[in-house]
Amino acid sequence: MGAWGFVFLAYGIVWGAILIYWVTLKRRLRRAETELAQLRASEELQRNAET
Amino acid sequence: MAEISTNSTKSKGYLGGLAFISVLLGLYWGLFRAPPDAYQGEVQRIMYLHIPSILTAYLSFFLVFVGSCLYLWKREKRDDILAYSAAEIGVLFTALTIVEGSIWGKPTWGVWWTWDARLTLTAILLLIFAGYLMLRSLTEDENRAASAAAVLGIIGFLDIPLIHMSVYWWRTLHQPPSILRPDKAPWDNVHPALLTALVINFVAFVLLYFYLLSQRFRLGEIKEEIKARLLNRDN
Repeated sequence: MGAWGFVFLAYGIVWGAILIYWVTLKRRLRRAETELAQLRASEELQRNAET
Repeated sequence: MAEISTNSTKSKGYLGGLAFISVLLGLYWGLFRAPPDAYQGEVQRIMYLHIPSILTAYLSFFLVFVGSCLYLWKREKRDDILAYSAAEIGVLFTALTIVEGSIWGKPTWGVWWTWDARLTLTAILLLIFAGYLMLRSLTEDENRAASAAAVLGIIGFLDIPLIHMSVYWWRTLHQPPSILRPDKAPWDNVHPALLTALVINFVAFVLLYFYLLSQRFRLGEIKEEIKARLLNRDN
């Protein structure tokens, strides 16, 4: 492998890994936000049913 | 409350945008604008990733240290969330540092890995914080896990001064620091054209780090709120 091959291998792995982490983090965040919103909505429904 | 949340989301968006632009600028400067190194040639461009990523990992583990100390002292969940979030991203940047170093090492030293003091201590740092993450995910009692992880986080941080000083204390293959040298300023040691590329990439990594940290911290906060609400509902 030539010098540029090593350079592109390093840059590809680093930015690929960071991109995968960012996408996974976004997905985890969206899932948690949905779960919280559902929980809040069910609590609201329960409160309304009680009153 | 909704207004605060909107402002916070907006500022995270700006931070993300700024990080993205600086990453593109760093890539351009590191790959095309900076000249090749006189001795190492093109392979030296890997240093524009290697140095910023290890400095960002140090910053991350410093925040783990601060968050862990504050959690053990005040027992506030926010400090624990900060430490946990910073540890996760710190592990990512440390692992990337080792991979970049290995790819740089093959054409420069002739080997992918050697049991050099600095490399070994960096691998130990990665193992300590990988253990920290495993401890968090495998222990059922969350308060106990948080306390044990805080102690591990403080101990783990103490490896960083050892990593930094290892090139002075032992005969190592790894060269002494180029940037954080006690006897020379960075601009007296590194050519301005190379230093500019390094600084731009370091700024990009730090901005990206704080963007990722803000997202991971928000995830931790939401998870805590979900747990508290579920607990409240069960009671």
